[in-house]
Amino acid sequence: MDPITSRAGRRFVHFVLLSFTVYSLVPFVWTGMQSFKTVKDAFSRKPLLLFEPTLQNYQEVWIRRVPDNAEAIGLGILLVVALLVGLLLSARHLPVNNRLVYGFCLAGFGLLLWAIPQLIYMQKFYDYFINTLIVTACTIVISISIGCLAGYSLARYAGLAAVVILIAALAFRALPRLAFVLPYYWIGSLLNLLDTGLLVVVALVAVNQPFTIWMLRSFFMEVPKDLEESAMVDGANRLQSFLRVIVPVAWPGIISTALFTLLLAYNEFLLVRVLTQSNWTLPVAISRYTGNESADELTLAAAASVSATLPIIVVILYFQKHLVKGLSAGAVKG
Amino acid sequence: MKRNTFFAFASPSVIIMLLLMVVPLAIALWLGFHYMTFRNIAAPEWVGLRNYSDVLADTRFWRSFNFTALYTAIVVPSWVVIGFIIALFLDQVSGFVRGVYMSIFLLPFITVPIIATIMFKQLWEPSGLLTWLYQQLSGTRFRMNETSVKTLIVFFGIWYVTPFTIVVYFAGLQTLPQEMIEAASIDGAGRLQKIRHIVIPYVSSLTVFILLFSIMDSYRVFDSVYVLSGLNPQFKADTVMTYTFSTAVQVQRLGKANAMSILTVIGIMVVLIPFLRLMYKEQIAER
Repeated sequence: MDPITSRAGRRFVHFVLLSFTVYSLVPFVWTGMQSFKTVKDAFSRKPLLLFEPTLQNYQEVWIRRVPDNAEAIGLGILLVVALLVGLLLSARHLPVNNRLVYGFCLAGFGLLLWAIPQLIYMQKFYDYFINTLIVTACTIVISISIGCLAGYSLARYAGLAAVVILIAALAFRALPRLAFVLPYYWIGSLLNLLDTGLLVVVALVAVNQPFTIWMLRSFFMEVPKDLEESAMVDGANRLQSFLRVIVPVAWPGIISTALFTLLLAYNEFLLVRVLTQSNWTLPVAISRYTGNESADELTLAAAASVSATLPIIVVILYFQKHLVKGLSAGAVKG
Repeated sequence: MKRNTFFAFASPSVIIMLLLMVVPLAIALWLGFHYMTFRNIAAPEWVGLRNYSDVLADTRFWRSFNFTALYTAIVVPSWVVIGFIIALFLDQVSGFVRGVYMSIFLLPFITVPIIATIMFKQLWEPSGLLTWLYQQLSGTRFRMNETSVKTLIVFFGIWYVTPFTIVVYFAGLQTLPQEMIEAASIDGAGRLQKIRHIVIPYVSSLTVFILLFSIMDSYRVFDSVYVLSGLNPQFKADTVMTYTFSTAVQVQRLGKANAMSILTVIGIMVVLIPFLRLMYKEQIAER
């Protein structure tokens, strides 16, 4: 559209956008404030916008017993995190192979996550957090690997079978989770797999597969066909040309899809709620805070919600372009 | 690509979908004919069509169906209208400012639904910000009852998914050919006329796409209802999904719950089949 140029018009545009900003942010800001309040402040009849912030709620959500040398441990952890983040951000400018640096950072973070409960007596919430990370990572790796193979072949094969698979996948995408989850529960209880990460990961991969292959297919269709043909003339077979030529070209699209898989796995509530009893991920763990109306649960729920949301926001802001691209990819073409 | 290569590449994904989507649906159908609780899970008892007649005679099931339909009928048009309007406004700014607005508008959509609902609910707790504001403005106390819980569920639905439609429409607006707008300007068309006669027809294919996905997602609404109503029957705010869930997990009638989800699947397929046929023809023509 042509831009609005009049002064009053510009003001109106910004007024609307700012109002919508407030509307989008109010729950986040309020919950953030509640999470830093004492129980007494949080329950004040008149909402307090100014108050003395406390970290008590965060401490209660994460840490069971504060160690004597808390400052030293905290400082040490902060230092390691700062070092790893610094290394990650400067990886491109280092004279070493990038992959080596990323691998090192990943190993570093893994080690840190393992070391923290050895140093500090953590709450169960920490276990749920680690569990969520593991489930999400496994789901992304498996789902994207098999999804890429299928998406690529669906983009290139012109036979009837490809169309049938795509349409069936679309139908599955429309069906409610519960239709699959209740049978999973039945199978899981017969095979004694309930409450295991394995069942959750396999179920998550399956229910997200239709969406994944449709999205990846649309990205692989953008890759010109001559690319792999010229690679195959040079003597590479299908799989080699796919891995060495196509995947690097389609990489941004694969990242987009991985991002959506990340959200789907990290967000999943119903499936995890039905298939596990104690081996929860964060959404189920946090939903436990809302059951009863006891006083301090309100502030704890706020602190837990902020804790679980911040990592996702950081990841998404970093990859925002890919997310927007993914959201509009299917849409603009369809 | 040759047939054999295609099947070799596609097989891991297809086998997973066969084993974990087609087979479970068959199991759900089979379990729907059985009486099963958590106690006789290894040996369900055959009861024929009794679960289905139970469901169809269950007033709570029909009430939850009606609320789901009402929810869809309010929420889906709101997503389309608000999303389109905000996308038009977002199109008026550029560069860094646009990026900042976009990041903020996306926030609800990228938050875990359960957590987003908890955050939204914090505003309406007895000590919440909006509870207080509501009481100041209306002079009456805010209470959680049938009407208020249902209203909050609908409001949350609108708040949570609008970012999706904003992004989709916004991306569509970026591809709008400038010549069409210029030609209309020369003809002396006003802004509203241009929106009505050029932009809306131009994005109509996006609207169809959004409608399809929104309807698919809105009747499946579960997480927000779970948090806002706490599955408390006193609020009468069950949707088909939460009622199926309570039947399975709280009441432990697993057979009946499976019958319910099979009925839902049938209902969805009836609505979906014309669209699937359309997609099928499109894909056949494309290859």
